[in-house]
Amino acid sequence: MSARVDVPVDAHRAAMRPLVPPTWLGTLPFLLLLVAWWLLPRVVQYPSYMLPPISAVLDFAWESIRDGTLARNVVASLARLATGFVIGMALAIPLGLAIALNRFVADMFRPVLSFLQAIAGIAWVPLTIIWFGIGNGSVIFVIANTIFFASLYNTVIGVQSIPTSLYRAVRSHGGSGIALLTNLILPGALVQLLLGVRTSMAYGWRALVASEMIAGSSGLGYMTMEAVQWQRTDVIILGMIVIGLIWVVMDRTLFTVIERRTVGRWGLLQR
Amino acid sequence: MSGTLTLPAPAPHRVFGRRAARALRGAAGVLLLLVGWQISVPLVGMSSYFYPAPSDVVASFTDLVRKGILPVYFADSMERYFAGLIAGALLGVVFGVLIGLHRTVAVTLSPLLKFLFAIVEVAWIPIFVVWFGYGWKTIFLALIYVVFFPVLYNTLLGVRTAPQILVNALRSLGASRWQVLCYAILPSALPGIITGLRVGAGFAFRGLVFAEMVAAKTGIGYLIFEGTQTQQTARTIVGMVVMGLTWLAIDLCYLRPLERATIERWGLTVDAEQRT
Repeated sequence: MSARVDVPVDAHRAAMRPLVPPTWLGTLPFLLLLVAWWLLPRVVQYPSYMLPPISAVLDFAWESIRDGTLARNVVASLARLATGFVIGMALAIPLGLAIALNRFVADMFRPVLSFLQAIAGIAWVPLTIIWFGIGNGSVIFVIANTIFFASLYNTVIGVQSIPTSLYRAVRSHGGSGIALLTNLILPGALVQLLLGVRTSMAYGWRALVASEMIAGSSGLGYMTMEAVQWQRTDVIILGMIVIGLIWVVMDRTLFTVIERRTVGRWGLLQR
Repeated sequence: MSGTLTLPAPAPHRVFGRRAARALRGAAGVLLLLVGWQISVPLVGMSSYFYPAPSDVVASFTDLVRKGILPVYFADSMERYFAGLIAGALLGVVFGVLIGLHRTVAVTLSPLLKFLFAIVEVAWIPIFVVWFGYGWKTIFLALIYVVFFPVLYNTLLGVRTAPQILVNALRSLGASRWQVLCYAILPSALPGIITGLRVGAGFAFRGLVFAEMVAAKTGIGYLIFEGTQTQQTARTIVGMVVMGLTWLAIDLCYLRPLERATIERWGLTVDAEQRT
């Protein structure tokens, strides 16, 4: 069947190699976009508040970097995200394990958890405004809430999806109690939890930006939404770019690394 | 531990029994939550504006239904949601196939697409508001945006990873380009399309609620937001409950069966969320 035709390896490689390195190619659309943005006001007439010229956005970026407002907003947003994440995880993992270790209780809580996960996030903002007022409290609550229910649900699912044969294997080797917990249940739940981290962070990030827009008093979301009132599109566009850049960086550094270090290494990337 | 060596083989009827038991326990959990909530209200001792009881919520629900507000809001939300979802998915599939068929184009465009997806739809809402005002256009565009990218990206990936053997086989049997597309490339891209749709559908639902809070005068998101503004917190909770149940229903009735019919059946479980 596999009668292979001998292709000289080098020739094959040469044919496969693209003319331009892919990283260079990837910057091309960005450049085109910038050129189009630069050309647009010179070709079409439109009020400049609709789409400010690049120079206006750059000026504002420079200005807000120099006087530190941009850094302050970025730090405020990231600090809230981190706080919410830590609170959510710290509550969810022990509670999730406690729920999941008893099959009866786990079955009991699953519908409630999936319901609460379905409404987790931005829908709580009006309530949190009543409870905590505008500002940090509301935003952190919404993020912690998003992360908490996603992680709780994932922990419960994670423990429940550990194959029974593994339980039996540990048991038959005489493991029980703490040994069972540290050797099987924790790692087993961790897989599902880490698989879910990126998704729950994606929801958490959206919830952060959205809740800052409605209930924030600082941060990137607040900055962009506040600018609508004054029709400062240069502020809005800078905010959008920064929001995009931060997510790209987080995705590249945090989640990809976490995934490779843990789940990928254990060879458990399957559902 | 115990002395038994033989494991009883599960009888076929026990599967159903276990499911029923599960459902029963789940219902007990829901009941427990509601009862606990109702009992906690006098203990907390706050006004119903601050902490409404389930009975207030039920009263508010019947009130909203009787006045015809809730059905209208619900219909508006669903119309927006599915319009955005379908439009975004169609655009995503079309562009995904077009881009995916050309290697160079795919390589060139994917960083930009990734970056655009990283600018979450929530962040676009302010500028959409400046461009299109408060209203359906803003909501519709935000929903299209959030569905478009996951579908596009996963379609692209699916098209790019279509088995070359199949394409070659069809070509050598004299298939036209169109036939190759329909019989080899699209079917192998389908699991990717579905996973993209699933990811996008989840983000879009939350996006819908947020967009309605900011930019609409009807809909479930508006109900949630407006309830507390008018000191009718029970209405906010009605909105949240409707939102949660709606999402669970969409997940159960549309997304899960779709996934089962395509991805799971072909044994091609790809972890979608990890790819976006």
